[in-house]
Amino acid sequence: MASTGGATAAPRSRWRALLALLRPHARRWVGLGALVALASGLQLAGPVIVRRVVDEAAGNADAGRLVALAVALLVIAVAAQALLVMVAWFATTTAWLTVNELRLSLVRHVLGLDHEFHRTHTPGELIQRVDGDVTSVSDFLGRVVPKLLGGVAIVLGMIGVLAVLDWRLALGGLAYVGIAGAIVARGRHRAVTEASDEMGAWARVYGGIEERLTASEDLRANGAGPHAMWRFVEESAGAMRSAVRRESAYLRLWWALQAAVAGGTVVALVAGAALVGVGAISLGTAFLLFQYALLIDQPLEDLVHELETVQKANGAMIRVIDLIGIEPKIVDEGTVLPPRGPLSIEFDRVEFDYGDERSVLHDVRLQIEPGRSVGVVGRTGSGKTTLSRLVLRLVEARQGEVRLGGVPVADIPMAELRRRVALVPQEVELFSGSIRDNVTLFDPAPSDAAVADALRRAGLPRLADGDLHRPLGAGGTGLSAGESQLLALARVWLRDPDLVVLDEATARIDPATEALLEGAIAELLRGRTALVIAHRLSTLRHVDDIVVMEGGRVVEHGTRADLAGDADTRFHRLLTLALEEVPT
Amino acid sequence: MSEPTVLVTEAPDTSHIPVWRLAWRVSQHHKATFWWGWGLFVAFFTVPVLTGWLMGRGFAALQDGRTTVVYAYAGAVLLSETLRMAVIHGAAIVWTQAWVHMQSFLRANLLAAQLASGGEQAGRPVGSAGEAITHFRDDVEDVTMFVDGLVDVSAGIVFTVGAAFVLGTIDMSAAGILLVPLAGIALATRFLDTRIKRYRAADRAAAGAVSGFVGDVMAAATTVKVNGATDPVVRHLGSLVEVRRHTAVRDRVLDDGVQAFARGASDIGLALVVLVGATALSSGRLTVGGLAVFTSYLGYLSFLPRMTGRVLARRKQAGVALDRMRRLVADEDAANATRAVDLPVGMRQTRERPHHHRPARVPLRELEVTGLTAAFADGSGVHDVSFRVRRGDFVVVTGPVGAGKTTLLRAILGLTRGMRTAGEIRWNGEVLADLAAFMVPPNVSFLPQVPQLISDSVADNIGLGPTTADSLELALELAAVRGEVDAMADGRATLIGPRGLRLSGGQRQRVATARALVHSPELVVLDDLSSALDVETELELWSNLAAAGMTVIAVSHRPVAFERADLVVRLEPERQVG
Repeated sequence: MASTGGATAAPRSRWRALLALLRPHARRWVGLGALVALASGLQLAGPVIVRRVVDEAAGNADAGRLVALAVALLVIAVAAQALLVMVAWFATTTAWLTVNELRLSLVRHVLGLDHEFHRTHTPGELIQRVDGDVTSVSDFLGRVVPKLLGGVAIVLGMIGVLAVLDWRLALGGLAYVGIAGAIVARGRHRAVTEASDEMGAWARVYGGIEERLTASEDLRANGAGPHAMWRFVEESAGAMRSAVRRESAYLRLWWALQAAVAGGTVVALVAGAALVGVGAISLGTAFLLFQYALLIDQPLEDLVHELETVQKANGAMIRVIDLIGIEPKIVDEGTVLPPRGPLSIEFDRVEFDYGDERSVLHDVRLQIEPGRSVGVVGRTGSGKTTLSRLVLRLVEARQGEVRLGGVPVADIPMAELRRRVALVPQEVELFSGSIRDNVTLFDPAPSDAAVADALRRAGLPRLADGDLHRPLGAGGTGLSAGESQLLALARVWLRDPDLVVLDEATARIDPATEALLEGAIAELLRGRTALVIAHRLSTLRHVDDIVVMEGGRVVEHGTRADLAGDADTRFHRLLTLALEEVPT
Repeated sequence: MSEPTVLVTEAPDTSHIPVWRLAWRVSQHHKATFWWGWGLFVAFFTVPVLTGWLMGRGFAALQDGRTTVVYAYAGAVLLSETLRMAVIHGAAIVWTQAWVHMQSFLRANLLAAQLASGGEQAGRPVGSAGEAITHFRDDVEDVTMFVDGLVDVSAGIVFTVGAAFVLGTIDMSAAGILLVPLAGIALATRFLDTRIKRYRAADRAAAGAVSGFVGDVMAAATTVKVNGATDPVVRHLGSLVEVRRHTAVRDRVLDDGVQAFARGASDIGLALVVLVGATALSSGRLTVGGLAVFTSYLGYLSFLPRMTGRVLARRKQAGVALDRMRRLVADEDAANATRAVDLPVGMRQTRERPHHHRPARVPLRELEVTGLTAAFADGSGVHDVSFRVRRGDFVVVTGPVGAGKTTLLRAILGLTRGMRTAGEIRWNGEVLADLAAFMVPPNVSFLPQVPQLISDSVADNIGLGPTTADSLELALELAAVRGEVDAMADGRATLIGPRGLRLSGGQRQRVATARALVHSPELVVLDDLSSALDVETELELWSNLAAAGMTVIAVSHRPVAFERADLVVRLEPERQVG
């Protein structure tokens, strides 16, 4: 994506972000550390007992003592595993608590980003960020962190035990851990980059699938299955390449760690031979070395196994931080409240483009008095929708100024703007949730009666009658495209705004039904300023004024009656073409 | 408003899913990679039998005080470990490929079923794409994880047999006692089976609810913004993720519990060996060398029961996953998710775009719709509609919201899954056996009311497969979008962004219109265009189609359409007047 902006997050900021994430639950994380330490201590205690067993066996012990030691070994083994289950419970709970907060703040952040950002990122891609990537971080915190802590505790404890037995052993152990650690640190970086690439490749696979499923009816009806499948094959092949590259980077690391473990056992045997030979340590201690070399194998293998999760989480963190780093260009810094009541709209020499060759607005000047309803007509691509986006401050003028109630839109606090300006769009998105949730957009404040009233006014008595909490399927199953638009009208009714923008809001409703709604729409517009964008001229039967757009300019602006009555106007020509109405 | 409710999901009954047989078919999708990877993994797991034995000999020598011999054995251990690492390198690379092959293969089958235009392979279309993505991602992964586990188990069996032989020669009764923890693991897994299944299903449902809602919100970002609804939406998501936390913790703790038990079995095993071998140890029959062999094998010995436990759990998860995937494929038969397909995603495979099969063109003389009924479960839809379209006709369908205009078009196209249908559609007098498979270009094309584009070039969005430059130009011309496409930076190769968002709404509609015309179909079916086109453009389009001599069925409410129509089909809710 070209417009993600910002450099890739530096490692330092990544750690800082992670720590900031953990801070609210610091106490829980400390408690987790204590549990892990206890579990590791028990794991270290086993070999110490076996050491006694070996020494006893080598020195003709009696069977009774061996049985007692065996029982102790048994108790320790069971207790250690029970503790590990507790660790899992505690760690998962804490990780999810932590990460759910991240998930929510991320959604909030993404929703605060510019319209332009959403225009260039598929929902599938954003799902992967907010859901997939954040789950990777949660796996890291809930599964890897306790294992890492456990590994560290085991290493430290092991060196402690060796120090008690013989300082030279402790020194040897320390050197060994140092070497193993250095190897991990060296291999880490490349593996991380490759993992991030792989995640990207998979995100493309899933994003592509999501997009094709969304378009599945179009594809099915046009026999385009084979074409879409071919794209899938190409994307999967890309994922294959990335996966193999990541695996070889990761293998190098794994190799090094395995060499360290194998070296550990061999060294234990050799050192045992040398030290037992000169009588410096007992056979039991040599056996302890061997067991510890095996014991360290588990955390190291865990580490390498989970390194994948670490890499995934690291890649995920990078992308999440990058996402958080994207700042909206449209900032909420306004402090001026426009006057109460219907708002006037002014366009003062407004220039706009989308940063590419796409349609632009040139020198748009427009003055709309409070309470007027204005129909905007013009061919597709003439800039009608851009006009409405500027009023809603979804995009910002490159030059010139848009003022509502005399206040530049940038100076109006965003919450105030959203409260007072409403949009009824052509594309109505529905949520898998109840009817009520779809009208209130999950706001618990409006009463059920108010919601039902809004639905009735919008011409949806079918939904208003009965339980408002009954589910409405995602993708609007059970609602036609026209009914979805009516539902969007209901959303606005509930909000009681001072300025309403109807962007092809009734385009998918047939004229007969629209005629039935005429009264209701007239009521919605009464006492408010309204911008009504419509292709269908009958929709504009009752607006006060008409603005005709062409090639990004306002070419006609006047009262509807004047324009319709003048045979030389473009609006008159449009009316004649539409055969809908002969001017009187 | 919505309290976090803990989902009480009944575990689906997956007994009808032949998990083993399907897993076998998944594994055999790309045979060479699978068996090559399998062989290397088995070798990798068998080498420790040798290493452990050498270790034991070393400690025996150490006990006897033969220091030089100990060094020789240490060298031998080093060699066998080097061998092990050499093997793993190849194994991991090959297995990664086998892994991607298996996943892509399953995904390809699901996707093909979702996108098939009729035919035997077509599956029931899913509702929300955001939710469906979990089938493609997580469920597919669950099935492959099961195959992956089976490879581990088979390698574990080879190791276990070898290790059992060596241990048996050292001390029969001490080796025998190890059966106790192994049996314990098997029993525990058996006991926890149902629970694993249920918790997993609940967790998946909760995960699906979260990602489905996130998908809805992301798709509706602008709506959420302009309605200032960010706070309540985030609060609602908060309650969903809270449910997810509960289900995830339950799932994970049980999973880890089973694993901890299996892993602890090696420590418990060692304790039991000492317990049973106490007499042998004190009498010297069981030497420190023998104990070293036990110790060195125990860590690996727990691998088999651990993996068996895990694989049994994964079998359940795979069953749940296949049961969910089943709904996407033909006949809701999970076996159709493992249909053999040629899928050149491999590293060395050359990728050549396969031939794009389209049905043979059958020139239309007359389309006859007789007594057509297509109704949803609640009774809404169209009832008993009859009309006749002759070649070159322009038929306009009109009627109020909810009269079933779209349903009528969909019924003609055979897109009626989940509906009750009756009546006949005859093409040149012949009843069509598989409507959905026949009613595609070059016979019929369809433009839905809200057309969906994909992130690709303009040309690819129109052609949706191979097409000629001439037909592309003609389609652009007819759809009245040629000038605008010419003006774009890269012309026909211009990338239109995710879902075509770089185009304006009107451009999207007309590019989609060009898509419906590019294969010069015998019949063009257009859902309501007037919602996205201004009257001048609509008029231009009708003129273009008439000039091109196309046969058209279109939904419209505009007099410009009625004026030109050879036939107007007016639908009323519940009944129609022809």
